[in-house]
Amino acid sequence: MSRFLIQRPLPHGGRLVERVVRDPERAKKMIKGCPTYDIKPTLHYESEVPVRNVYREIMSICYGFFSPVEGSMCQAEVERILKERRLLNEWIFPYPLVFDISKDDFKKLGVGSGDRLVLNLKGKPFAILDIEEVWEISDTEELADKTFGTPEDNPEVVREKFNKKHPGWVIYKSLNPIVLAGKYTIINEPIFRAPFDRFWYPPRKAREEFDKRGWRTVINHQTRNVPHVGHEFLMKNAAFTGDLEPCHGILVNAIIGVKRRGDYPDEAICEGHEAVNTGGYIKNSRHLPTICLWDMRYGNPLESLLHGIIRQNMGCTHHMFGRDHAAVGEYYDKWSTQILWNEGIPSFGFPAPPTDVPYGLEIRPQNMREFSFCPTCKEMAYSETCGHEREKLSGSFLRGMVAQGVQPPAIIMRPEVFKVVVKWWKHFNYPFCNEKYVINKEKELEVDLKDL
Amino acid sequence: MADYFIDVLLDEGRLQAIKDAGLGDNIKYRFAGELKLVEVHVSEDTKNKILKEFDTARTDSRNAITDVPVAFLRELYHQVVKTKSLGDEAVEATLAKVDEIKDLAAKESEYLPAPEID
Ligand SMILES: [Zn+2]
Repeated sequence: MSRFLIQRPLPHGGRLVERVVRDPERAKKMIKGCPTYDIKPTLHYESEVPVRNVYREIMSICYGFFSPVEGSMCQAEVERILKERRLLNEWIFPYPLVFDISKDDFKKLGVGSGDRLVLNLKGKPFAILDIEEVWEISDTEELADKTFGTPEDNPEVVREKFNKKHPGWVIYKSLNPIVLAGKYTIINEPIFRAPFDRFWYPPRKAREEFDKRGWRTVINHQTRNVPHVGHEFLMKNAAFTGDLEPCHGILVNAIIGVKRRGDYPDEAICEGHEAVNTGGYIKNSRHLPTICLWDMRYGNPLESLLHGIIRQNMGCTHHMFGRDHAAVGEYYDKWSTQILWNEGIPSFGFPAPPTDVPYGLEIRPQNMREFSFCPTCKEMAYSETCGHEREKLSGSFLRGMVAQGVQPPAIIMRPEVFKVVVKWWKHFNYPFCNEKYVINKEKELEVDLKDL
Repeated sequence: MADYFIDVLLDEGRLQAIKDAGLGDNIKYRFAGELKLVEVHVSEDTKNKILKEFDTARTDSRNAITDVPVAFLRELYHQVVKTKSLGDEAVEATLAKVDEIKDLAAKESEYLPAPEID
């Protein structure tokens, strides 16, 4: 065996977290006589529109996407993350994750450490939280600032003070003050609605699927977009990285969660990526579109760290990172993610890249620029290779084209992908997420639950 | 030479109408000829009027006016064909219907008709 072969990494933390009880009789016994609480969405601290639903974190934790995190974090763990982006067990992790409730609800519940709380979702038992600690967030704005960094404390990458125009900052600013810390366990597995059901590959299933397909090396493509041909070329060409041969598989992992107006609907994003392989542009046996539930925090380098964790847990060997990765606005330097993975960000606790610190990651970053059409080469060309003037495709130009109902040329968006956009456009009467979609989505979520 | 422009995209039906209006020589081909469009030239004054009427509208680095309501673009296309002009004349005729366009634009976030594709 060549010493250059790259093997699939272990999950972050050494083993996959799986906290799902599949036996209903056992589940019923586990929750007998326990107090219950109906999961509520986190509402924007000013406008009161939903900005997060903790159910998505519970799903991602219990199915192992966020291994080795096992639950809602205690105060010492949150403080350590804000200081050096590490869990109390030393493994690196970017964000505080907490189960927060209001003081009123806390009083009504009358629970404390040692108690088991049953969490209902859509009126049905969903998970339990074994409370180990109750603590109070003294100032959610301070928590929000520390979570994302400030120009003073993190001068390497933070360019502007965060404010209410940043959706991730708003999530932390909007948290309730009381945190119930402890491990989550899902006791009633939610059922994904179509089309999300066929994209649900939690880490164990993803790794089994890779085995079935004979994928040793797999590169991940992060997405929250319907793919245009520029994305397709990025995926195909980034996959030439690998070891002795190009990566065996391309994993597309779409982050599914709270939407912003103007985004494409999650349904169109999933099926749009699928259309890339049904159309044959990347053959099915090399391409797997999947989802992960998470309300994006848009923390650019920090988000990229979470992405690395999720995809290593899913079994990927490589991860593509682009410019302005998971960013919104100009709060971070647009190359912050590359700075993190190339040299580290000391003020965030990374004197070296996340792959080169103790208890760090094994997944390999692949930093690529962009592809666009070159009329001289007559092909999609790489920005750092082609020496001609290329026809750049801006997001707003493509969106404008879609909104006008003009079929984009196949060199911009594949007809199979556009067909998916139109399918969901007809379903929602609008090609992008409008207010109605955003509100309905948070009411209906991505799953249904059966009676236990 | 006008300062600004608006791209009016052309599908097969629109392409013929533009040719019939005698504007065929102005058709521009992008992306290996797969995308066809005409540029409507806009003076500084008219650009300011557009930006004043539609708060989403902006100009990009190419001096293109973007992010105007779809209803505006649709009407602009009709006016290009009607006035046989690719300049301020077509834009002025479009802006003459600004109230109607604004009504449609307000409903746009609730409902946009999807194209019929096979
Ligand atoms: Zn070239």
